[in-house]
Amino acid sequence: MRYRYLSLGLLLGWAAVVAGCSSMGVKPWQRGVLAQESMQLNGNPLDRAIDDHLYFSKEASSGGRSFAGGGCGCN
Amino acid sequence: MRLQLKDPEARKVLPLRRQLMAASCALLSAAAVHAEDSSDQKSDPGVLSKLLNGVSLDTALAYYHEDGRVQAVEPVVDVNKAFANGQSLNLDATFDVLSGASPNGALTSRQPQTFASPSGTSLTGSKHSYIVNPGQYPVDRNYSDVRGAAGANWNVPLTRLTSAELGAKISGEDDFISATLNASVEHDFNEKNTTLSFGISNEFDRLSPIGGTPVAGSDYSLFEKTGNKTKNGVEALFGVTQVMTQNWIAELNFSADRFKGYLNDPYKIASVLDPVGNTTGYVYESRPEQRTRKSVFLENRTASDQFSAALSLRYMQDNWQIRSDTVELRPRWTLSDRNQYLEPTVRWYRQTAAYFYTPWLSSTVQVPEFQASDERLGAFHALTYGIKYAHKVGEQQDTQGSELSVRVEYYQQTFRQPEAPLSLQGLDLLPPLKAVLVQVGWRF
Repeated sequence: MRYRYLSLGLLLGWAAVVAGCSSMGVKPWQRGVLAQESMQLNGNPLDRAIDDHLYFSKEASSGGRSFAGGGCGCN
Repeated sequence: MRLQLKDPEARKVLPLRRQLMAASCALLSAAAVHAEDSSDQKSDPGVLSKLLNGVSLDTALAYYHEDGRVQAVEPVVDVNKAFANGQSLNLDATFDVLSGASPNGALTSRQPQTFASPSGTSLTGSKHSYIVNPGQYPVDRNYSDVRGAAGANWNVPLTRLTSAELGAKISGEDDFISATLNASVEHDFNEKNTTLSFGISNEFDRLSPIGGTPVAGSDYSLFEKTGNKTKNGVEALFGVTQVMTQNWIAELNFSADRFKGYLNDPYKIASVLDPVGNTTGYVYESRPEQRTRKSVFLENRTASDQFSAALSLRYMQDNWQIRSDTVELRPRWTLSDRNQYLEPTVRWYRQTAAYFYTPWLSSTVQVPEFQASDERLGAFHALTYGIKYAHKVGEQQDTQGSELSVRVEYYQQTFRQPEAPLSLQGLDLLPPLKAVLVQVGWRF
């Protein structure tokens, strides 16, 4: 039970850090790094799909990043 | 959800890339090309070139191997077409071929155990039965399945800051058909630094297990089977994406889903043990007919010149009293020539057991209304270690080339061991699951 609220604690910690930011966001001309492929939130969709299918079929949790349904009879 | 951060000019296609696509399409449609006469072929390049403008193709072949259990081969293709009016269409197709040995849910025993294959109607006939030796983990070694799935997503800009997406997916196996419809809308504001999104999804599943659907909780030896079953699910997902700084972006999602219907694995049974630990029989699992899950997901991405990292956290809980935590870290190092990168992965996952999970049942008490020994509903933790190497070809400033990649992952589940009855002490009742995934990808 030590880890019961681990994720929630980390999420709240993140929220506190965000709340401490004096300003968020950038101007359009400051998006050079954000435009990098590695910064795309939906990058490498096939890697994600293959991983998600593996975890969907072996674990009780799925989704979070996107819809959780699996369309698979494996679980 | 997605923030459009890339300059549209960056999507210009290199001649080399277009030629690669044309070559691939020609290979894929070889039969059709052969049927055409030579005059038609002369007019093809122009039409093909127009069709391929704005098209990107992502392909992968994955091989998955569990130690002593299931193996699978999975080719995947994803095609994206960006239209001049801002709309985009995404099509994907997946094919799975699975074979090997699948755990049937029964417990390892000191005595030989006889089980029927799904199509069997008796435990005494040899044709549709299999024997598990003493001390061996019970698996059905004749497991095999083939799955095909196809999906489509259509993204339409409604205004300069708002877009909608409609999607559909269909998936079929020998004993399972699933159809999913989803719709979502997202809106940018705050100079496109913030994006709010909301989506809903509906899933309709039909199960037609080989040999019939077992009556939940029934005695395994009686072979009480019924006809096809259904389960349906609905899910809502709300998300916020925020650009934090010039090199930090974050995404926070809340989701909830509810599934109703036949939620059992029709091939899973549970052992019934006497007080000493001898197996006296088996019953089919019986899960509740409704499940509601809620999850929170957070991802942070940060990057500098040659280094970037993605850290994601997820917390999930459901009305089966399962709670899970997931932490995943994916750093990426771009190598000195900028055409190659290495991306290691570390993922830690932990879940608690469903309230009705039990490794075995007792012969001295009545079988509870809800019970399942499926280890995926038990308490365990899992670790994934992996690394990806990618090499970009033909990429220049403001243009995309193609990318070849190889990815290897090792996945291991470790279960919480139950306190064994006397005769089963010393046996590995819940052996760890160890699996390797190897994936080759080509994107162009």
